[in-house]
Amino acid sequence: MSAATARRPMGRLVQALVTGLLCVLVLVNLLPLVWGVLTSFKADSDLFRFPPVFFDFTPTLAHYERVVASGFLGSMGTSIFYAAVTVAATLALALPAAYAFDRFEFPGRQALFLLVVACIPLSLGAAALLIPNYVYFVEIGLTNTWFVLPLIYTAHQLPMAIWIVKGVIESIPRELDEAAIVDGGTHFDVLRFVMLPLTRPAMGAAGVLAFVGTWNEFVAGSVMVDAPSLKPVQPMIYSFIGFFGREWGPLTAAATLAIVPILVAFALLGRHIVSGLTKGAVKG
Amino acid sequence: MRDARTPFAFVAPAFALLGFVLLSPVVYAGWFSLQRVEYGAPTGFAGLLNFRRLFDSDSLLPTFGRTALHTGLSVVFTIGIALALAVWIDRLRPRLGFIVQTIVIVPWIISTVVATLLFRWVFVNDIGIAAYFIGTFTGEVSGILTEPGGAMGLLVLVSVWKRIGYAVIVLLAGLKSIPSELDEAARIDGASGWQIFRRITLPLLKTPLLLTAVVLTLSNINTVETPLILTGGGPSDATRTLAIDVYERAFAVFDLGSATALALVMFAGNILLVLAYVRLSRWRA
Repeated sequence: MSAATARRPMGRLVQALVTGLLCVLVLVNLLPLVWGVLTSFKADSDLFRFPPVFFDFTPTLAHYERVVASGFLGSMGTSIFYAAVTVAATLALALPAAYAFDRFEFPGRQALFLLVVACIPLSLGAAALLIPNYVYFVEIGLTNTWFVLPLIYTAHQLPMAIWIVKGVIESIPRELDEAAIVDGGTHFDVLRFVMLPLTRPAMGAAGVLAFVGTWNEFVAGSVMVDAPSLKPVQPMIYSFIGFFGREWGPLTAAATLAIVPILVAFALLGRHIVSGLTKGAVKG
Repeated sequence: MRDARTPFAFVAPAFALLGFVLLSPVVYAGWFSLQRVEYGAPTGFAGLLNFRRLFDSDSLLPTFGRTALHTGLSVVFTIGIALALAVWIDRLRPRLGFIVQTIVIVPWIISTVVATLLFRWVFVNDIGIAAYFIGTFTGEVSGILTEPGGAMGLLVLVSVWKRIGYAVIVLLAGLKSIPSELDEAARIDGASGWQIFRRITLPLLKTPLLLTAVVLTLSNINTVETPLILTGGGPSDATRTLAIDVYERAFAVFDLGSATALALVMFAGNILLVLAYVRLSRWRA
């Protein structure tokens, strides 16, 4: 007891120091983002001023005009299309699969679910999977099509979505779907009228994760399609690095535009995202 | 259950897709890697030629070493910092904790391309804001990105920064699942904060910690974007990791034969990590 009392002033100081350090860490965390967004609004004369200025400059949209003139909005539209297809396909495939895994006993169930769990981290192995994917899709002629990227992205997002949705179906009382079946409903009716409404938050979480994952994907998008009209947004930013070189104004403007949809999703569905991430906090 | 086929009909579309996109390419790549590849097309059986060419090259071993260094340092620092943040957030009032957590997640939720690009802009030579701050402390403006050690250090730093949010979420979920009675009982018995952390919290966090380590290892080994955008693998190969090596073999040098061979070697390594992940994730069907 006495030792604890003697330690207290020192302990308080250490605690205050640690808290201060953690606060700084959290702020430094956002520095590259804030600095990038500020840069995108600076005229070139302010941009290359040294020492750098934070807020003392006249904002301009010149860099955004150049980025838009280079067709960046078209890539954003393409990515939104890919993301919409991916989210719809992921959820449409995940719900029946999650339902079957939780409510049915069938041969091979354990093994198949094990495969789903194994595929969650597997889709992280971008570099290792990319080349096999590429040589195979070249061979069967799937590259440079409008559906090749949604196809790949859906396969990447699906295992996690099944995992998240199944976790919620577990907590739905079986009496509900059994009652529907007794009343003459089919299993499809159960999916449509019982599971779909009751799993809405989980579907929302899985859907947001699929959206973010698709929007942010780079490697497949950079090699599976060539036509500019098929290029998603991340490879477009990468090609801007070659195109604009050391012109950081347009580069940071493109980066800022590419963050906007993510931040909008985050603002609208923030809690869903955090809960979804927590439920299926398994992806890196 | 009127029809035994129903569950299969429900899971079949999902597995058809997973089999087609994730599994069958690997089988095809296995065949492809044993072919002589000319101008991107297989032209005949060549045995282990591609693998021999891969393992004969002097650059492979140093690339393995750099990958191990980058991944090892990144994982250790990410987990260390994330653990401190998670323990701190866990003690904050729920509302404040949620805000801090949200801020911490942001670098993880934006794309690796954008995150790395913005990071590079902070550390860009001569005119970067980091160069300015470092310059005011040391009196000289140096080019961190053009020094081999500095470039690797920044690669580790950006990898840590990008993935702390993920680690915090997993560890925070783990912390919240620890019953608070354990802490209270230990406190009544006179244990100090550090003792509680060391003897109670840490052992109970073992599974989330290992899970985080496995996922972080997997994603660091396989990240193409980070070195590609931060340094392009330079200066003079100083940040050339396996992921960027395989990417450039295939899409810069167009040597699809050795790229496929290397990708399969990496895939085998990934499978080991996936198995560890499956064991740790305590799945049940």
